[in-house]
Amino acid sequence: MLTIENLKAKIEEKEILKGLNLNINPGEVHAIMGPNGSGKSTLSNILSGKKGYEVNGNVTFEGENLLDLETEERAHKGIFLAFQYPLEIPGVNTNTFLKTSINAIKKARGEKELDAIEFLKLIKQKAAELKFDEKILSRQLNVGFSGGEKKKNEILQMSILNPKLSILDETDSGLDIDALRIVSEGVNSLRNKENSFLIITHYQRLLDYIKPDFVHVLKNGQIIKSGDYELAKELEKVGYEDFN
Amino acid sequence: MQNEIKLNFEKSLSEGNYSISQKEIKEKNFNKFLKQGFPNKRIEDWKFSDLNQIISTNFEKLDFYKENNTSSIDDDFINEFKHNKIVFVNGNVSKIDFGYENKEKIIINQSLELDNELNENVLLNLNTAFLSSYIKITINKGYQLQKPLVLYNYLTSDLDCYGLNMRLDIDLEDNTSMDVMNISNETTKNNFLNFRQKINIGKNATLKNYSLDINPTSNIKYSFKDIDLDKNSHLEYFILSKGSKFAKHDINCSLNNDHGSVVLNGVIDLDNKKHHEIKTSINHNEENCKSYQLIKSVLNENSKGVYQGKIYVKSKAQKTDGYQLSRALLLNDDVEFNAKPELEIYADDVKCSHGSTSGNIDENSIFYLMSRGLSHAQSKKLLTNGFLNEVVEKITNESVKTLVKKLTGIQE
Repeated sequence: MLTIENLKAKIEEKEILKGLNLNINPGEVHAIMGPNGSGKSTLSNILSGKKGYEVNGNVTFEGENLLDLETEERAHKGIFLAFQYPLEIPGVNTNTFLKTSINAIKKARGEKELDAIEFLKLIKQKAAELKFDEKILSRQLNVGFSGGEKKKNEILQMSILNPKLSILDETDSGLDIDALRIVSEGVNSLRNKENSFLIITHYQRLLDYIKPDFVHVLKNGQIIKSGDYELAKELEKVGYEDFN
Repeated sequence: MQNEIKLNFEKSLSEGNYSISQKEIKEKNFNKFLKQGFPNKRIEDWKFSDLNQIISTNFEKLDFYKENNTSSIDDDFINEFKHNKIVFVNGNVSKIDFGYENKEKIIINQSLELDNELNENVLLNLNTAFLSSYIKITINKGYQLQKPLVLYNYLTSDLDCYGLNMRLDIDLEDNTSMDVMNISNETTKNNFLNFRQKINIGKNATLKNYSLDINPTSNIKYSFKDIDLDKNSHLEYFILSKGSKFAKHDINCSLNNDHGSVVLNGVIDLDNKKHHEIKTSINHNEENCKSYQLIKSVLNENSKGVYQGKIYVKSKAQKTDGYQLSRALLLNDDVEFNAKPELEIYADDVKCSHGSTSGNIDENSIFYLMSRGLSHAQSKKLLTNGFLNEVVEKITNESVKTLVKKLTGIQE
């Protein structure tokens, strides 16, 4: 589904990714772990099309050159990034935003857009699954949301848009145990043979709830080791500093 | 242009039915206008909007006199809520309808005794010189209007390069209330509109005034409002400044007795080389009055926005609470926004503050929205509408608020 070959990225002359390789097949859950500044967020930004990076290498998504696509085209093709710091958008109602988003994607795919009733039905169901207070959805997007609410809102968006590849950028940071469990259940409910996940995290804890098929260690802009879930446990014991 | 204007003036004077003293006043005002011409940027109040230049680049000629061949129009375009109406067609009153009200409580006066005092503002001199139609609405003591009053301003296609001078005065006596909305339908090109209003808000009275300029037009507009507030009275004033090629809203508001309050909110939403200005002067002349101003601007495609906001506090106006904030979103490199906040305070126990920010749209927010499938244009629209929505939300007449959202697409 996603193939990354020798990906290099610079921002303002600073090299952050230094030749990264990764292959994700349909239905797989990959976790990338690494210390601060190793390039985790840069990787997720580049995959979802954020501007400002000088990028080299090949990234294909379902056979298509991903780097040629605009941010919104990537979303239309089924890539979703759950932000580490979801932005507060004053004046924009959360429900309006969600409806605009899902219909933009449906339209791009040539599917029928949802009318108000269909949308409300969907949102009601998904909010209930995530134990997300519906009242929050009539508020301005992420404005005044707690850290947990913001992250849950990301997962809610993910579950509504039902992407093929979901990238979770440190979704666990700032979550209490209960929220972590709810968020993880949300992710697990989307797991199936077609959908893949790339989970970026510092800690093993999230991976106790969302069992990954593969774990990669990212250090200094490269994946230095790959393995299965046991690798995450080992990392937790040894720490990034001494891990080689 | 001068000679033509002179001829226009003589013609309008000879054909109008004016007393000798009224003629003299008109002449006095006209001569002052003739001497000074349209205001230019050397005049402090016009520093950011050189009307003289705007007039000369947009008009090859400008007529101030036209034979009266006004047809009447009775075609409401506001169907969203029930309302009273006054219809102006090409500057003349064509219909007055207070069908929802007790007519004994509403006095309409269409004959104006011109004021002998020569105003300093040259556009008011021009207005006095050429004013042909006038209307004054008085709401009698204690009466509260059941429905809003909509002022329709039609400019029909037989007008071109024409200067219109209009005046509408409102007198709200004590314990009254009225909601007024003005909206226009202009199918004409290149006209200059000079609109003057004198408003008096009596004790415990409330006026809500909604001024909407929405549809794109090449017309150039100046509107001057002189508003006096008595004890315990309240003014809510909302401006949506969007459609005209040039517009300047000049608002002079005086809190002349204690516990009066003014809330003045404005949206400037421009594209396509438009140039709009909101200039306010809030005069706190007595103690315990409040004023609040919020102006938000979105500028695109070579447009220019200006906000000049002054809060004046007289020495006896203790316990004044004055606030103003201007925020502008600049969508291109070729746009311009000028803000001139001014506080002039002579009392020592007051709370006054002002703020002004201007900046670009946040690219991180755009990225966030685009990562959810929205196009760049869609994201920008959502963000700018969200930005402006805060001001629209402050409209307290729900029918008007809904209408503004519908007409502009500005909503959450």
